[in-house]
Amino acid sequence: MGDVQDILGLERPPTPELTKEAILGSSDKLKKKQMQMSTPKVSKRPEGMPREVFALLCNDSKGVPPVFPTDTGQGYKQTKAKLGMRKVRPWKWMPFTNPGRTDGAVFHHWRRVADEGKEYPFAKFNKKVPVPSYTDDEYNQHLQTTGWTKEETNHLIDLAKRFDLRFIVMKDRFDKEKFTDRSVEELKERFYTIQTTLTKVRSTSPPEGKPYVFDADHERRRKEQLKRIYERTQKQIEEEQSLVTEYRRIEARKKERDKKTQDLQKLITAADSQSENRRIEKKLPKKKLQQQLTRPRVDTVAVESTGIKFPDMKGSGVSVRSQRMKMPANVGQKKIKGVEQLLQELGVELNPMPTEEICTHFNELRSDMVLLHELKAAFSTCEFELQTLRHQYEALCPGKTLDIPVLSESQTVSSSENDGGKQKINLEIIDVVGSPGTPNSSTHLN
Amino acid sequence: MTSGMLYGGDEIGALVFDIGHHSLRVGYAQEDSPKAEIPAVVGIAEDGNSNAVPQTDAMDIDDKMPDSNITQNKYFIDTTILHVARKGMEVTSYMKDGMIDDWDLFEKVLDYTYGKSIQSQSELHPVLMSEAPWNIRGKREKLTEIMFEKYNVPAFFLVKNAVLAAFANGRATALVVDSGATHTSAVPVQDGFVLTQGIVKSPLGGDFISMQCKQYLQDNDIDLTPSYMIGSKEAVKEKEKPRYVKKKVIPEVTQSWHNYMTKKIIQDFQITALQVSETPYDEKAVSSIPSVHYEFPSGYHQDFANERFHIPEALFDPSVVPMRGGVVGNTMLGVGHIVTTSVGMCDPDVRPALYGSVVVTGGNSFIQGFPERLNRDLSMRIPASMRLKMISANGCSERRFGAWIGGSILASIGTFQQMWISSQEYEEAGKGQVDRKCP
Repeated sequence: MGDVQDILGLERPPTPELTKEAILGSSDKLKKKQMQMSTPKVSKRPEGMPREVFALLCNDSKGVPPVFPTDTGQGYKQTKAKLGMRKVRPWKWMPFTNPGRTDGAVFHHWRRVADEGKEYPFAKFNKKVPVPSYTDDEYNQHLQTTGWTKEETNHLIDLAKRFDLRFIVMKDRFDKEKFTDRSVEELKERFYTIQTTLTKVRSTSPPEGKPYVFDADHERRRKEQLKRIYERTQKQIEEEQSLVTEYRRIEARKKERDKKTQDLQKLITAADSQSENRRIEKKLPKKKLQQQLTRPRVDTVAVESTGIKFPDMKGSGVSVRSQRMKMPANVGQKKIKGVEQLLQELGVELNPMPTEEICTHFNELRSDMVLLHELKAAFSTCEFELQTLRHQYEALCPGKTLDIPVLSESQTVSSSENDGGKQKINLEIIDVVGSPGTPNSSTHLN
Repeated sequence: MTSGMLYGGDEIGALVFDIGHHSLRVGYAQEDSPKAEIPAVVGIAEDGNSNAVPQTDAMDIDDKMPDSNITQNKYFIDTTILHVARKGMEVTSYMKDGMIDDWDLFEKVLDYTYGKSIQSQSELHPVLMSEAPWNIRGKREKLTEIMFEKYNVPAFFLVKNAVLAAFANGRATALVVDSGATHTSAVPVQDGFVLTQGIVKSPLGGDFISMQCKQYLQDNDIDLTPSYMIGSKEAVKEKEKPRYVKKKVIPEVTQSWHNYMTKKIIQDFQITALQVSETPYDEKAVSSIPSVHYEFPSGYHQDFANERFHIPEALFDPSVVPMRGGVVGNTMLGVGHIVTTSVGMCDPDVRPALYGSVVVTGGNSFIQGFPERLNRDLSMRIPASMRLKMISANGCSERRFGAWIGGSILASIGTFQQMWISSQEYEEAGKGQVDRKCP
């Protein structure tokens, strides 16, 4: 901040600098800083002297710099390292005993004379894993189990002591001639059972913490799995890989298919509701109305998005009614073109007189036109897919022909009787799209 | 603590013996290479005094009872003395199947070692010895007995050479692939203990390759006359018949010594010329690699191209071995196969750790391209989820003396000093404890 001000040649504000602490509001730190600032040591920067130059002369820790050089050293001569100025500490080839040994054997090694007689420094690394031991009584009372003799157990404990619970090595060195060949899990199971049993028996107070429980079966299963993974052949790995990719592909296809179904559903329901509305308006007999209502309707929420949604003119103020007939902005250019073309074909004016009634009907008409257009497109896609599938099927099973139920009245969606049937077929077709390569999946079309 | 703790080392003047089938390495612990490498073969000549060849007083240890009438044997140990042509000197090895077999001869070699290589008394130095991972109990006890009873060593320890090789490469858990003279083996080591049930070995070692080389060279009528027979020779063109004059005075050497000398030539050829191809042997691929020129002592010389790849291929793919005599065949395991078989026999829990450090050691692994090829073969074989790391010391002596260096490190570590079998312990509990104390 100060630097920037200096660069810009601005006057320094008389107030204390705005520091981070001040902004963050840690006031005591600020106070401390001010205290430091107020110590008499710090001299003031003379007027007109650049800050950098001042900093060279004087910084917070040293105060005012000396007036003349005070370096009394020898300059470059001083740089010579002062090594080995202490007296050498002699070494001596001396005997030693190692407390880690039980036999008190004497070896010789080099050691500083000063360290003579001290304990062997490596003895402290002599650590042993605690391995439980038991008396004959304890064994007979608590530790007897089927499958393990006392001798074998003793051998196990001995191995545990010798190899510090390295069970894999213990398994390797287990006396197979005298006893049976044991797996690592068997050894561990036996050992930990002994350990937990002994602690349970010996402790007078309830045991602290949970005793270690070795789940041999789980271990065995784990190892079995591990072994299988490691022993897979290259072929198996490749097979798995290809299966995974195949699965992914199917998943992706399924998603795509779901999306398509949804779109179609949307269209269908839109068509349904449109015709329904029409009928209600026409004041159809109540009986029929109910019948229609009971028909399962799918996904009514999605109806809104098909056709054209003309905005309600509910804005305040006066507006021209013809505004209501204006195509909303979100309708695509292609759709608008299509609608216009169709209107021309039907001989309807593109801009009719915007009376109330004409407005509503014109809008409805155009909305229906768009819907019809979409339905037609969807239908032709389905038709096309059906054809491709049939060709595929015939190519895969030569000699057979695929009978596709002929739709008598398919183009328009208005007839509600046909609707259910068509929908069903559509769904079926779409289901099959997922796996065009597999012949058996397309057979259920028969 | 004190500076004595630096690097955890504490050296007590121990000696390290690495007993291999090809040679015996010996030296002081804490040094980075052995003091001496002595061939594992000994020349024996009968009759002590009427030796025609003037004796260098360097090495000849007379058998006991110098003035009895029994014929005395003279023993010729170490390269320099062994390579002199002598009348009636038989060459024999004291090793068999990676283990010491002829104890008398071995003792002679030990005598020589203490006298000439170490030049110190055996009573002063604890001894750490290496052994084959499949060494049997009887031999271990015998060795312990000899060291304590005959040499009065203050302390003794036996370690399996695979463990030492792993230590030399800074690993306590490793799969040691040792391609030595007589065999190639894969030994799983976990936490410094050999998993004996996972050891796999095959007789495809350096000697086998030598045999193949010899066969090949003889089939191609290449003169393998050792240099001791050659008086003078003339330069000849490539692939021409060598022209040399035989030495006039050659002592009546034995067949075994002659064979030994011939083998030396072949071994030199083996080291110089042979190479393992990086991919499985393919005539076409290999022919694009430049050939290697080699000159034999007789003066004969030629370029070797395909065959130098074809011969060592047998290590990795034994099925290429031409069936002769039916001794070896395609039932053998290649090196890659040995490794996977060995790991396959270990607990699934340790397998990743083993593949994570595959230590390559042994003199035969010096054939050019050996580690690279093994690496390739293994990465093809092992599961994709496994991480493979091959450790092969680049330096010549580091790999050649791998096990010795491991021993040197081990014997000079402070915490190891409580592991020795001391002479006191030996006197109390006898030789039987070696199996317990040196796992």
